[in-house]
Amino acid sequence: MVWKIILFVLMCFVIITGISFPIVQNPQGWTQFPIIPGLGEKAKIIFFHVPAAWLSVLAFLMAMIYGIRYLRNKNLDEDAKSAAALQLGMMFCVLATITGSIWAKFNWGSFWNWDPRETSIFILLLIYGSLFALRSAIENEDKRARLSAVYSIIAFLTVPFFIFIMPRIMLGLHPGSLEIDPNTGKVVQGTNPVIDFKMNGNMRIVFFSSLIAFTILYVWMWKIRSRALIIKENLLNKSR
Amino acid sequence: MEGGFLGFLENNSIYIVLIIVLVVWAGIFLFLLGTDKRLKAIEKELKEKVSNEK
Repeated sequence: MVWKIILFVLMCFVIITGISFPIVQNPQGWTQFPIIPGLGEKAKIIFFHVPAAWLSVLAFLMAMIYGIRYLRNKNLDEDAKSAAALQLGMMFCVLATITGSIWAKFNWGSFWNWDPRETSIFILLLIYGSLFALRSAIENEDKRARLSAVYSIIAFLTVPFFIFIMPRIMLGLHPGSLEIDPNTGKVVQGTNPVIDFKMNGNMRIVFFSSLIAFTILYVWMWKIRSRALIIKENLLNKSR
Repeated sequence: MEGGFLGFLENNSIYIVLIIVLVVWAGIFLFLLGTDKRLKAIEKELKEKVSNEK
């Protein structure tokens, strides 16, 4: 219960401060956020879009961990937990794509630009989308669980490359990508508001509160969904 | 600069943030609806089982 109260309070704090605190040139008090070059007021998306992307990585990681656990002890409950994490990961991946695309329309001029970041998340969606197709195509539970576990392990190996590496080693528009310095004409590492600490103290507090709140929300949703899947599975097994 | 709704959003970017928050909320809501549907199906199945055993 304590976690749920913390989640409620943190999420209220993030929504209120994330939307209402203005972004100004020279922040004076703790109720003002600084301007991040190139982002403007739209920088506030960072409180909602980045946690969605982070949760998709966390969920895919958990899907892999429970997949490995299934392969070790052949307990179908582990497969249900892995499936619940996969479903949540897919949902947050889609949310990160949609929210990023809306933001791109106003920052880059079009909903989809085939920026390295957009291309990499599109490939990730395809990789994990095909895992759902695979799961629904197999009737036998043990076979489905085994194949899904192996696939989720292999699929997760691509996640660090598509999320953390590829968008940072290519020229792109997304914060953190390589960009061309207008003064020297040379390719330089672009600024990343999260990694380069472009946010001031209070913006960072809101950002990390948001990450914590979304993570608690994710764990809660994952527990409920995996419990539902496990009960359904037990019911099916008993009726046989 | 485009007119209409897109132009309004371009001039008032806080509403873009608002739309993004609503999209995230809609996704979470739809996921909860899906979970609720599954639980209802389980409840129905359990009820049928209990009534069959009687």
